[in-house]
Amino acid sequence: MKFIPIYIEAGISGFESPATEYKELGLSLDQLLISHPNATFIGQASGESMIEAGIFDGDLLIVDRSLTAKNGNIIVANYNGCFVCKIIDKDQARLLSASKDHAPVKINQEDEFQVEGIVTRSIRMHLKSPELLKCMP
Amino acid sequence: MYALVDAVSFYASAEKVFDPSIRNKPVVVLTNNDGCICAVCPIARRLGIPKFEPYFKVKWLLQKHGVVVRSSNYELYADLSEKMMNVIARFCDDQYIYSIDESFLLFKNYDNLIKDWDKYGHEIRRAIWKETKLPVGVGFGMTPTLAKAANHAAKKLLGYNGVAVIESKSSAKEVLQKMDVGDIWGIGRKISKRLNLQGINNAFQFSTLDPKSIRREFSVVTERTLNELNGLSCLSWDDVREDKREIFSTRSFGQRIVDKHALQAALSKHGAIVCKKVRQQSSLVKKLLIFASSSPHDDFYYKQSFIYEFPVASDNSCDILSAISSVLDEIFKPGVRFYRCGVGAIQLESRRFQQSDLFMPDNSNPQLMKCLDKINNRYGQGTLKLGSEGKSEKFKMRREFLSPQFTSNWKDIPKIIC
Repeated sequence: MKFIPIYIEAGISGFESPATEYKELGLSLDQLLISHPNATFIGQASGESMIEAGIFDGDLLIVDRSLTAKNGNIIVANYNGCFVCKIIDKDQARLLSASKDHAPVKINQEDEFQVEGIVTRSIRMHLKSPELLKCMP
Repeated sequence: MYALVDAVSFYASAEKVFDPSIRNKPVVVLTNNDGCICAVCPIARRLGIPKFEPYFKVKWLLQKHGVVVRSSNYELYADLSEKMMNVIARFCDDQYIYSIDESFLLFKNYDNLIKDWDKYGHEIRRAIWKETKLPVGVGFGMTPTLAKAANHAAKKLLGYNGVAVIESKSSAKEVLQKMDVGDIWGIGRKISKRLNLQGINNAFQFSTLDPKSIRREFSVVTERTLNELNGLSCLSWDDVREDKREIFSTRSFGQRIVDKHALQAALSKHGAIVCKKVRQQSSLVKKLLIFASSSPHDDFYYKQSFIYEFPVASDNSCDILSAISSVLDEIFKPGVRFYRCGVGAIQLESRRFQQSDLFMPDNSNPQLMKCLDKINNRYGQGTLKLGSEGKSEKFKMRREFLSPQFTSNWKDIPKIIC
């Protein structure tokens, strides 16, 4: 036979936490990292050409479409049917890499080119996340 | 002033947002189970790809033109729709979301703020394109029906570049003259056929008819449409979507069903979907139609349906699913390869005005149903279900050409080449 001990309760209510009113004030990464939620998407960097700008293979990129690209911004563009992450050089219509191993790319008339948005943040996963691991081939 | 903003072939355009490799290619999207074409992008439209054709019939045509084919990716569309609606909402303080890709706006007392509606429309278009990469059409009109007509003009008629404004009798005439009467919002195929027989072909001709005789010949709804075309607002947001009078859930199977339990599970699943929708609008089911059939293309076409009437109207999934189980023997026939089945609530009652029965106990269990709906809303449809729905996945939707869930699944987020 099993006994379940039940203790007598005398309606002790304790003290309400003095912090109750402040419960809602937690930190939200979305709030910090995403200024325009409706115009923002998250992508994943693939390749080594932006290393000197601090963007490594597998990093998460937060891309804001509502901002207008200025010279020298790190952007995501549709370049001939691919999303690429580069530094934009508006004066000479070039896409610059942040690595000595990659030469600038000139945007020509016949190229399909559209600026998708500006990379406002990049996030490195120092320990691999199980959610994201699935997408690494 | 009213406006209607909607996306240009939304499903097909949504497919292009995160897949830049198909931005300049013809794209079509297929319905549930890859049955029919439900969206054709403008590039594919110019190639003469028809909408609403069964996929197998036009497969050769799609291949010939190198058309990109996609299954419906509802996860992606829901996310993009929400973002698009939020961007639209910035432009007006009174927004009514009419469907997944259509939104009405009511501009009250904006006359001093906005002098040039056409320019404002282009601002809306540009913002939505920039921020969501979805192309939209914008139509302004003095009534919702005129806004809808202007939207039609903005997208379909030559000379309008995605924006059209109807702000006077003369601008209304200009648009309505170029519109088929059947393209008017609220004029169905039957009514337009009858009007055609009377020599009424375009929308402008219709707008000059006498409202009273239209009411006599058709209905008060058609009269309202006529008045709306003449600038008299008759519809308000609440009228635009009234509670549904019938709720159906039906679908053809990915694979044929020959087993009785599999048919029961499929019917039960449809029953559960109907129940959820019934509860959403606070209705109760009085009469339920349950049906199943083989394919009309089969040699021996078999179709059986059954109407079940509840003594006391109910929204309890347990009641509805046991009703389905009780008529299963009438519907199932051994040897038939079932192709489609469905359940429809064909007579609904309002929960608010429910008549209770002196002799029948009230079987409803609102707490349990609320709990069921909450769990399924939070964790996805089918997380919690009744036993008769079964656990088999046999009639899961066929989506052979599904694109990744770019915005709702971490493993599918777009790759960006560095």
